[in-house]
Amino acid sequence: MTYISQYEYYENNGNNPEDLNWGSYQYVSLADVVTNFLLMYSGNHSLVNNEERFKILFHAKRAVQELNYDAFKEIKVLELNVPHTLRYILPSDYVNWVRISVYENGVLRPLSENIQTLSSGAYLQDNLSNILFDQNGNALSPQNSAIDYDRITGTKKSIYLNAGNQFDNQAGYNVDGFWYFDYAIGTRYGLNTETANANPTFNVDKKAGVINFDSGMSERLCILEYVSDGMENGDNSLITINKLFESYIYAYIKYEVLNAKFGVQEYVIQRAKKDKQALLRNAKIRISNIHPGRLLMNLRGLDKILK
Amino acid sequence: MSVMINSVRNTVIAVLNKNNYGYISPSDFNLYAQQAQLELFMKYFSDYNSIINKENARMSGTDYADFGKSYSEQMEEFIVTNLLTNTSVTSTLSNEYYLPSLVTTGDEDYMISKILCYSKILASGVNTSVTALQLVDSSASFVLAGVSIGDVVVNTAVSPTVTATVTSVSATALGLSANIFTLTPQSYRVFDSSVQNEAEKVSAGKITLLNMSPLTSPSVNYPAYTQTSDTIVVYPSSIINLPLQVQATYFRYPKNPKWTFITLANGEPVFDQSQPDYQDFEVGFQNEVGLIVKILQYCGVSIREAQVYQFAKQEETENNAQIP
Repeated sequence: MTYISQYEYYENNGNNPEDLNWGSYQYVSLADVVTNFLLMYSGNHSLVNNEERFKILFHAKRAVQELNYDAFKEIKVLELNVPHTLRYILPSDYVNWVRISVYENGVLRPLSENIQTLSSGAYLQDNLSNILFDQNGNALSPQNSAIDYDRITGTKKSIYLNAGNQFDNQAGYNVDGFWYFDYAIGTRYGLNTETANANPTFNVDKKAGVINFDSGMSERLCILEYVSDGMENGDNSLITINKLFESYIYAYIKYEVLNAKFGVQEYVIQRAKKDKQALLRNAKIRISNIHPGRLLMNLRGLDKILK
Repeated sequence: MSVMINSVRNTVIAVLNKNNYGYISPSDFNLYAQQAQLELFMKYFSDYNSIINKENARMSGTDYADFGKSYSEQMEEFIVTNLLTNTSVTSTLSNEYYLPSLVTTGDEDYMISKILCYSKILASGVNTSVTALQLVDSSASFVLAGVSIGDVVVNTAVSPTVTATVTSVSATALGLSANIFTLTPQSYRVFDSSVQNEAEKVSAGKITLLNMSPLTSPSVNYPAYTQTSDTIVVYPSSIINLPLQVQATYFRYPKNPKWTFITLANGEPVFDQSQPDYQDFEVGFQNEVGLIVKILQYCGVSIREAQVYQFAKQEETENNAQIP
């Protein structure tokens, strides 16, 4: 990428969008990475030679994908209203979720992932429980399974201490200021902190491409924080890499090419591997942004008295 | 540059006459000279490869010992860059282009070095009048459109298309490197020469797989091409919907040498380089000995004189032994 003027940086030369170049100096483009690699690490006198450009491009993109999953720490955020079907369709570039929250009254409340099954497929059956088929031999399915129907209508019980809990709003006995309940099975000792959350819960159905919520989430605003793979919907010109990882990307490509190449000595491959791993560690430390100012913030909590 | 072909011929004849081995006619000499030059030209590439291997084995030096530099300079004498002609016979461009040939570019390619794709169109329209070496469109505003010297102009009204580069720019007219507009109205496109992407050569066996790969399928940023007998096909195939012009940089074959003469009264041919079909050798002077030896080999074979052939072969072996 060529260097740009201050005017182009701040105001995109008067064009829209104005913010096109804001922060762009942090990044190096995929095109630059591929070009630089071919120029600097490939050729007649280099370890890497006689390799097609598409292989270099492939490994560069794979590196970008892997880095986006964790090391880059580039979290995308999407706000959507959860409809009464309690399904939140995953974003088109979704790879994995980081945090899912409900936003209301100016407060962001992180939600708990429900360890129970929230959704299920189902087949239509007759009174003898035989599955019903159509003329093509495919099993017939209802619009909603029983578990989905109960969840959507709010009648499914939950182990979580929220509105769906089986003991929610049930009467108990107040003795000496403490509440006691009759439990259907056994007796509960203490609080299960894993399920002690009053907020709605969710479950990600990866194959179906949706997040299923319990009924408490209906018509509420959901904030999904997730990671993508950085492929920018297939537009190569938009793919960028943080400069802190630039050397790692070169080392990664070099290692992958040498590792897949016939006849390369093992010590050469191992050297490339160590080089790659060391550069990744360095880059991760750098992007963690550990500096005295941040440490000081944590150290200020040292004198806090734990009750 | 002084003439090499006459010197080579004189030496060849002198060697042949030394022991009365016979006479070589000008037409035979020209045929042998062509073959000899071609052999040496193609040997550049294998020799260059040997030198690279030696360099990688740390058996070649730098500065005055840099044989790779010397060879690459000799090879680069034959590098040319030309815009390629689209194969479409309609005004809609296809993604297939003719390889360089005597008909389209005026020379034959030995090896393609790189293919560049221009994909940004700066201006298009129809010419309104005809002026030699110009594109004139009274309704255009080439300066405002950002057209600059070096940009590429394509006449898309003729098939196959013809191309030229911009040599000067004014509001409604562009100076061109070739006279490609001889009629009006003819449609044209002007491509930005600064927006270019290099296409990668992919074998015909791999292009299908490459097109199916989501990460590496050919794109405008990373185009690819396959080669057939006389055309190249540029990918992605949807590129036919884009304004596109392709330019090739390649090694051309050397021109056929021709020793031309005028015949005097006694019938002895006398060298005359003023003839219109005269053509000197194009390989460098450092190849003079090599040319003589090669031609002598052909003469030896031709007149069935094993001694001449052996002598030439021995000379060549000794000559090669001096190359590190």
